[in-house]
Amino acid sequence: MKTETLDAPPTLGVLYGRALLTARSGGGALPDRRLELAGVRIDADAVADYAHVCGFGVGGVVPPTYPHMLAFPLQMRLMTDREFPLPAPGMVHLRNVITQHRPPEVGEPLTVAVHADRLAAHPKGAQVDLVTEVRDADGTGVWGSRSTYFVRGAPAPEGADEVPAAPPEPEPQVGRLPHAIWTIPADIGRRYAAVSGDVNPIHVNGLAAKAFGMPGMIAHGMWTKARALAALAGRHGPAFTVDVVFRAPVRAPSKAYFHTAAVDGGWDAKLVSPKGKDHLLLTLRDA
Amino acid sequence: MSPTSSSASSSRPLPRRAAIVGANRIPFARSNGAYARASNQDMLTAALDGLVARFGMAGEHVGEVVSGAVLKKSSDFNLTREAVLGSRLAAATPTYDVQQACGTSLQTTLLIANKIALGQIESGIAAGVDTTSDAPIEVNEGLRSVLLAANRAKSTAGVLKALAGLRPGQIVPEIPANREPRTGMSMGEHAAQTAAAWGITRQAQDEIAAASHQNLAKAYDRGFFDDLMTPYLGLTRDNNLRADSTVEGLAKLKPVFKPAGYPDTEATMTAANSTPLTDGAATVLLASDEWAAERHLPVLAHLVDAETSAVDYVHGDEGLLMAPAYAVPRLLERNGLTLQDFDFYEFHEAFASTILATFAAWEDPIFCKEKLGYDEPLGSFDKSKLNVVGSSLATGHPFAATGARIVPTLAKLLHEKGSGRGLISICAAGGQGVVAILEA
Repeated sequence: MKTETLDAPPTLGVLYGRALLTARSGGGALPDRRLELAGVRIDADAVADYAHVCGFGVGGVVPPTYPHMLAFPLQMRLMTDREFPLPAPGMVHLRNVITQHRPPEVGEPLTVAVHADRLAAHPKGAQVDLVTEVRDADGTGVWGSRSTYFVRGAPAPEGADEVPAAPPEPEPQVGRLPHAIWTIPADIGRRYAAVSGDVNPIHVNGLAAKAFGMPGMIAHGMWTKARALAALAGRHGPAFTVDVVFRAPVRAPSKAYFHTAAVDGGWDAKLVSPKGKDHLLLTLRDA
Repeated sequence: MSPTSSSASSSRPLPRRAAIVGANRIPFARSNGAYARASNQDMLTAALDGLVARFGMAGEHVGEVVSGAVLKKSSDFNLTREAVLGSRLAAATPTYDVQQACGTSLQTTLLIANKIALGQIESGIAAGVDTTSDAPIEVNEGLRSVLLAANRAKSTAGVLKALAGLRPGQIVPEIPANREPRTGMSMGEHAAQTAAAWGITRQAQDEIAAASHQNLAKAYDRGFFDDLMTPYLGLTRDNNLRADSTVEGLAKLKPVFKPAGYPDTEATMTAANSTPLTDGAATVLLASDEWAAERHLPVLAHLVDAETSAVDYVHGDEGLLMAPAYAVPRLLERNGLTLQDFDFYEFHEAFASTILATFAAWEDPIFCKEKLGYDEPLGSFDKSKLNVVGSSLATGHPFAATGARIVPTLAKLLHEKGSGRGLISICAAGGQGVVAILEA
């Protein structure tokens, strides 16, 4: 796989415009290249904005979901290229696994690299993984993630059977009593879009969300993951793997029950609807 | 010259037990009623002036006045100091503010008592006040961040750019809610879960509520509160009191707070077996025995010991209001006492179900073994000694004032009896609890 080094972070607005104009309906193979951006520095103000929306404290460690903000423009750049086999608008996040080796520091020079992997058939379309690696100035891995995105109705790629199976999904073991009741505000999609740049129409416009097969405007999966991790702040170590599967979309506005359990080596958590439908399954295991 | 340190301060070995000398409170008023126009400072000043009048303390220096409010405007940062400056106490009386939710004025009592015990002060006033009517209202979080950004901007253009972020929806203010920030659940929703976990029945809750009203009414009728209270804004009694409350009458009320996570459990909590939002203020005068003797003032009781505890209600599977279930056993153990060794039990009735769940836990061998590490449960106690002159379900519960209502109530009960021992238990938001032992 060859590496393409970018000079500056891609502009998300331009990418979305391009995505809507050139949206593809699938076919073809994944691009055999890695996008890389060096000298990325985490900005304290941007982290504060992010923390306010997701429920993290300001001024402590950088939220473990925050590096996704650095990677997302690169992921979008990759996915909005003409050669990319799946269309970006309406993509749904199915799963996100983050492994943090140490919390990144505000201001330190980081290199962010993104590539696509495991294009696979899904019972209702097709899915693809976007893999991110964040390294420090010494080239040591700081943080990595694997996001699985799904496109409804996209044709299954040829040779999908040859794709290696994903590791087993998390199976959190939690009690039946919710530990918190989340009130998800109607504007959470717009607020998270403002700090993340992820203006996917399913999060910011009710009609567009319906057009993409959603019941209405839905919260970003990564916002629910961030908020779940914010609830566990201070209760886990600096190095860990947190695996999340996003199930039924979380509508905005809505209420949801958050269950947690301290388990051997980490935490299990679940976000479920008041009627018992799973929204998010989470396992966090300290390294 | 130090007017607060008397010649007697070194005559007894330290630490010494602080005496509860007396008290004054204003009647408690249901929210948005009799005290709708009164501020925390107004009510606290009125309660202090009543105490000053009762004990002839005009112009007197007490060692400290410590008070607090749960719902407090940021401009009230020196609430207690402002109230003292507006009262008839000596203007040079030092103060500070404390906030521990519903535990506030039991905790202020402990702070005063501990300084007396160590000989640092000879006298002090512990107090608490709260208003849910004159509550602080904050601007919407979105509006607040826009205004703060505009305030930070250094140029006119920067201010305009920040103000461009204004949105119509930001006009909606934030009114303080009785809600735990980390769980998003109201105190009632938490209490409903605990009630369901312990199988507390509607009937048992209504019995507690009816007894609270009946006991408070009888106490008023026999003049029990005559030297503990000063009328305020037309009230001479707590206006939440319904003297004719009966279990049958309360059974007709519609239950609220369906417990989350218990789809098959019916709601059992009602407006009657939950405390209402209330306005009010309460004060307690504490001193060394010598200070009281010099002024020919009575000693109603002494503070023996106290314990504060907290539980992990966020992820720890313990009920929000269950901290006293842990604090009391530790306090008993330290003092070589059993749960049955008391003449009076003053349990703050946040919800009838809260104290019933606490009692159930102490009778439960599994809770006592697994959570407390005891081979035998703490057991039951004689409920005829519980809240004998009513408690929060009848008086109402201005959050920070409740401890300073209960301390003198128990002290006076012990004084009336002539000797004996009483237990105080108060649960507080944030999964905390404050408990104390008084003796006469």
